[in-house]
Amino acid sequence: MEFIKKYPKLFQWLFLLIVFFALCFAIDVPETYKFIRGQAEFVKDPNQSFYVFLGKEVRYYAFDVFWRLPPLLGWVPIWINDSLFFLMNEWMPIEFWNEDTQEFRTRPLVLQISRNLTAFMTFLIELIREILLGGLETIVAFTSWDWIDKNPWAELPGLPWTIVAAGSAILAYKLSGKGLALFAGLVMVYISIFGQWKPSMQTLSFILVAAPLSFIFGLGLGIAAYKSKRVEKALYPILLVMQTMPQYAVLVPALVLFGVGDHAAVIITMVVAVPPMILLTILGLRAIPPEVIEAGRMSGCNNWQLMFKVLIPTARRDILIGVNQVIMVCFSMAVISAFIGAKGLGFNLLLALNQLNIGLALEAGLCISLIAILLDKMSLAWANKQTDYFGNLTFYQRNRNILFFVATVIIGIVLAYIGTFLFKGSYNYLFEVPHNKGISTADFWNKGVDWIFDTFFVYIKAFNTWLIQDVLQPMRALYLRMPAVATLVLVVGAGYLIGGIRSALVVCGLTLFIALSPWWDRALVTAYMATFGVVISCIIGFTVGTLCFQNKHSASFMLGVCDIFQTFPSFVYLIPVMMLFGITDTSVLIAVIVYATIPATRYTIEGLRSVPVGLHDAATMSGVNKFQRLTKIEFPLAFPHMMLGLNQTIVFALFMVIIGAFIGTEDLGQYILKALSDKKGAGIGFTLGICVAFIGLIFDNLIRTWVEKRKKHLGIN
Amino acid sequence: MLKNNYLNRLKELPVAIKQIGGLVTITIIIILSFGILNIFWGGGDELIRKMKLEEERIAQEKKLNALISKLPSGVLVTFDGTDNYRLSDELYEAVCNATKLIPQRAIMAAHFLNYEAYELYTINGNKIDETYVKWNNDKKKCFAGYTVSGNNVGVNKSANVSGEVLSFLSTGIDTRVYFIKNF
Repeated sequence: MEFIKKYPKLFQWLFLLIVFFALCFAIDVPETYKFIRGQAEFVKDPNQSFYVFLGKEVRYYAFDVFWRLPPLLGWVPIWINDSLFFLMNEWMPIEFWNEDTQEFRTRPLVLQISRNLTAFMTFLIELIREILLGGLETIVAFTSWDWIDKNPWAELPGLPWTIVAAGSAILAYKLSGKGLALFAGLVMVYISIFGQWKPSMQTLSFILVAAPLSFIFGLGLGIAAYKSKRVEKALYPILLVMQTMPQYAVLVPALVLFGVGDHAAVIITMVVAVPPMILLTILGLRAIPPEVIEAGRMSGCNNWQLMFKVLIPTARRDILIGVNQVIMVCFSMAVISAFIGAKGLGFNLLLALNQLNIGLALEAGLCISLIAILLDKMSLAWANKQTDYFGNLTFYQRNRNILFFVATVIIGIVLAYIGTFLFKGSYNYLFEVPHNKGISTADFWNKGVDWIFDTFFVYIKAFNTWLIQDVLQPMRALYLRMPAVATLVLVVGAGYLIGGIRSALVVCGLTLFIALSPWWDRALVTAYMATFGVVISCIIGFTVGTLCFQNKHSASFMLGVCDIFQTFPSFVYLIPVMMLFGITDTSVLIAVIVYATIPATRYTIEGLRSVPVGLHDAATMSGVNKFQRLTKIEFPLAFPHMMLGLNQTIVFALFMVIIGAFIGTEDLGQYILKALSDKKGAGIGFTLGICVAFIGLIFDNLIRTWVEKRKKHLGIN
Repeated sequence: MLKNNYLNRLKELPVAIKQIGGLVTITIIIILSFGILNIFWGGGDELIRKMKLEEERIAQEKKLNALISKLPSGVLVTFDGTDNYRLSDELYEAVCNATKLIPQRAIMAAHFLNYEAYELYTINGNKIDETYVKWNNDKKKCFAGYTVSGNNVGVNKSANVSGEVLSFLSTGIDTRVYFIKNF
């Protein structure tokens, strides 16, 4: 009793763990478990039981429920598929006028809307693509092929790479100064001379459509949520799920609704990019002091003026950070959406990875990363830029940048014209360096990979074998050995101990959804891979973060490194690991570790930085040494913030594990990837995505609740 | 009064004890819920038995498939004196167990001596009710058979044709009955 009173929490956790392990040992692996796992989910077997839900037959193996719950939610994917089929083929048939056949045609409403949306998106992408690269589709859209045959001069010529490079440098100079301008210029020159101009501009055109549209929708929905509690409440669960939902999973329903191509990629990118924009808009608007709103009202603003003349300009920084996030998400989607036919660097990267041409993949990956870093820096500079107002500037001073741009356009055109003479009968390199005609380092990298394999093969193989046989397989077996009832007791018990009955109910609901789906075993494999990645990432991140924090310059340097690494699209991380470890689980896990270490390091440094300076002084005056200060003061106070880093680490690890399916894991990601090539995969893909999102949300709920309580306890706001 | 006393006592308990009580309650509720679910959805010994049989069947099938893939493509016979591949006694039994299909060619040949079956077969659109290929342990021979049924001039009839399998056809992927000796 004394022990309980002295260490109540420790006793509760001990009790929970004892119950968990007791259940694990008490419930044996059923004899038929292997047989059931070996069977495909939808194979019809005379031994299967079945139930009918909403007129649909769901088959499953009746089984020891303590070990694994029956897949009672097996109807969800079927229902999603049927709903999509109904929406696209049967619901609300309406007559539409068909311009081509000059007659009315009956089509379901959703199908017609999706086709119109698709046509609109295709038009926008083509327009921007042809401004950058040239073409005649846009002109044809307004005229006809006959007209273009008669007027061949009407083709859009495209911009020479020199103009785009100079334009980017001028824009970067305006936003941030010489440093960024130089970087922008170098990036564009690099892209051009390495022959990646066309795919880069294809990617850029896709982002230039997706990002502004995501911004408009995100801002609109953010304002609506700020104005109405109902809208906010309705949006909140969707935003929560979308934050932890792997982007892969959203691709599959998009395939059904919008088909394959750039247009579908833009729409799906918007679906993924809008949630952070909404969140940051709400955050920015909520942070506005009431005095500002009062001042606006007292000046006689109506609601519209108050919103667009007072509130949005005041929340400008947060909103522009939202734009930055939108751009970053667009870049990460540039590769993923290549799965559904988006052209550009992502497609080239995916193709190179498929061919195991690491050199080509590296070139494409480097280009995406450089453009992502450039746009990240530019959008952040835009967010942080204060507008200066001077009344006594001359025309030249006011319009200097525009004049410079006009001059570069003229010079660029002249250079491109000269190029037609210089490179007569060949490619005009002053206009565009064609794909695969520029400098290529692919051979060098491929030889490097071969050299690494030749030189270190024995060591790499030994490391691989050790990691897989002695660490990963036992860990995987341990996770799969957990009976469903024990897992539920552990998760719900943890929820109860951390956040009380409410938290327990939330995590119970989320876990039950996964347990009642047909993919509990796969979810356990996903959890095991993510756990391994998270544990190693946290050890590295917390150590590196703590060491870097000891020096101001090293801390700033490390945060800068984290910034740069965070802008890399997640697929890029697979390239170096595939170079070193080939197509193995080790590659996926190393990629997970590298990717997930970023938030762990960042939040450790930021958490330690958030400890008030006054406390440092007080500690020093009390005579504590550096180590004591770190362990007794800084760590306890920074721990809640570091735990938020752990939360992010888990989400990052989950995302990477799912992407790792591309290399060939056995987890939920693999099934999502399979669903991508399945005609009826939309339901499965989406349900699996929800399962992954729920794994993330379980940890998110537990960690956030703990952090809030801990902060309250420590008196930290 | 007594109830109030108990409630007050419970309320006065330290938070740590209350939390432990809550944890124990949650644990019991979860385990009990699983127990109830097991009654409705859990599989019993009968299921385990069936699955073991199924497991054995799949293992046997795999073994037989591996064996069949090693056989030469073409006609496999059980007797001497032809150019076709002669099966040993062991292989004869294994191939018999692995064979599921009786193609139309073998059926038509077997009809030759059973006119009633032939009539039913042609009148009812070449439909076969049931087929089987079985190993007879006593006679050490493979037997195949099929049933045809249907309406013949207003009368529902059924005919069973069976006989010894004298040869099989190996396609490289599976084996089929090639000739049924029903005389």
